[in-house]
Amino acid sequence: MQSNNHYLLAIILTVAGSSVLAGRSASAQQPPSEETIAFFRQNCYSCHTIGGGRLAGPDLKDVSKRKDRSWLLKFVMDPKGVIDSGDPYAQKIFREARGVYMQAVPGIQSSRVEKLLDLIDAESEAESPLFAGVQIDDRPLTAADADLGRQLFSGLASFESGAPSCISCHTLASLGGLGGGRLGPDLTTVYSRLEGRKALAAWLSTPPTDIMKPLFARHPISKDENLALVAYLKQVTEQGTEEAEPSNMSFLLIASLVAALSLVLIDFIWRARYRAVRRPLVEATTR
Amino acid sequence: MNEFLLFAVVPYLSMAIFFIVTIQRYRQRKFTYSSLSSQFLENKQHFWGSVPFHFGLLLTLAAHVGAFLLPSWVLTWNSVPWRLFLIEITGLALGILTLVGLINIVMRRLNNSKVRLVTTIGDWVVYGLLLIQVATGMGIAIFHGWGSSWFATSAAPWLWSLVTLQPDVSTMAAMPALVKMHVLNAFVLIGVFPFTRLVHVLVVPNHYIWRKTQVVLWNWDRKSIRNRG
Repeated sequence: MQSNNHYLLAIILTVAGSSVLAGRSASAQQPPSEETIAFFRQNCYSCHTIGGGRLAGPDLKDVSKRKDRSWLLKFVMDPKGVIDSGDPYAQKIFREARGVYMQAVPGIQSSRVEKLLDLIDAESEAESPLFAGVQIDDRPLTAADADLGRQLFSGLASFESGAPSCISCHTLASLGGLGGGRLGPDLTTVYSRLEGRKALAAWLSTPPTDIMKPLFARHPISKDENLALVAYLKQVTEQGTEEAEPSNMSFLLIASLVAALSLVLIDFIWRARYRAVRRPLVEATTR
Repeated sequence: MNEFLLFAVVPYLSMAIFFIVTIQRYRQRKFTYSSLSSQFLENKQHFWGSVPFHFGLLLTLAAHVGAFLLPSWVLTWNSVPWRLFLIEITGLALGILTLVGLINIVMRRLNNSKVRLVTTIGDWVVYGLLLIQVATGMGIAIFHGWGSSWFATSAAPWLWSLVTLQPDVSTMAAMPALVKMHVLNAFVLIGVFPFTRLVHVLVVPNHYIWRKTQVVLWNWDRKSIRNRG
């Protein structure tokens, strides 16, 4: 009986000792700073969750257990370079993302990536993770949602924050006329490209591209507007049209015609330019 | 390339050169403020160069300044698609007019021996920079539309950040190469402005538009003067 008690005490001491040691090692690692959390939210969260499932990019929960740190560091610094080098795991991720390259954050430093990986590790263990997905209403999308989305896209309705309408930079096959802008990509099939509602809504909540990021950080899209755009882009994708042919040529032709008419008008206005100037003036004053 | 250097340092540098040299040249060489018109040497091709070029350029420039000063007005106007298309077609048509005029101006300077004689290296620099400016502007209109809208949302805030001395180049850093070239070349033009014929912009005799017509009368007998000589 006594030897049994000794045995139990030894176990308790061992467990308690290892717990203290584990506690020490945990406290030795700095908790993620607010700045790193904000950076992740601004630059990564539109395509990745930590424990909330796949968006445009994979769920990053336990990513350090899937690949070692040096690989992850290299990939985050230059995703396109690693994918194009033929790395098998990068190729697998690329295929799963349906051929969409992850965007590198311009000017990102390796120290920043290390902090992000620390954050992902910490959040992978957290009981209530911060980045489990954007909370977008999952009610069924209605025709009224899609109509509001159409108006927001074309500028007929304004975003509450004063954000620019989508047509400024993006086109859709169904737009008609000269279509939408061509600074950004055609969004006709974006709903299927980003694999549906959840990823598209996350993308719209913090657009990560270099042109949209600074703009929409100042003028965010509200949750209702986000839902309306998702509904409209879903409707557009489901109409099954191909992406729009750029209307560059018809635009150039119409503008050339207007310019030619302007030249005719100039010629008409100054039609007397090579005739006498002085004589009619003298006649007018002496009449 | 360092974006801050391109979109903050270069603009401030070119604006500093513009103001300092423009004032200094006016104080020291007031009578060089002219484009030294060559209209008397050749007039027909001059008309098809100067008129479309100036109308196209001045209206396009006014549109840029307007979108910089009142970006929200532009966005409100563009919120109806046909109005957006109208403004974009007008913009590109003005670009074509400017290009037609500029090509005529350059061809005239090249082909007319009298005009070529009064053309300086500074003039060729200006024509070269203007050709780059107009060509990149038209390229942007065609390949990266709709610039009237995204100028108001991305370029105007950057320009205002320069005006308020809090430069924020983030919206410009990600722009396509053609846009960056257009913007940089514009600041090069501002920088060379006080050294070239471009100074005539500051001494345009606008009052001629409202001035009453003047009739010049010669009272001498020109034939007798000729015979005397």
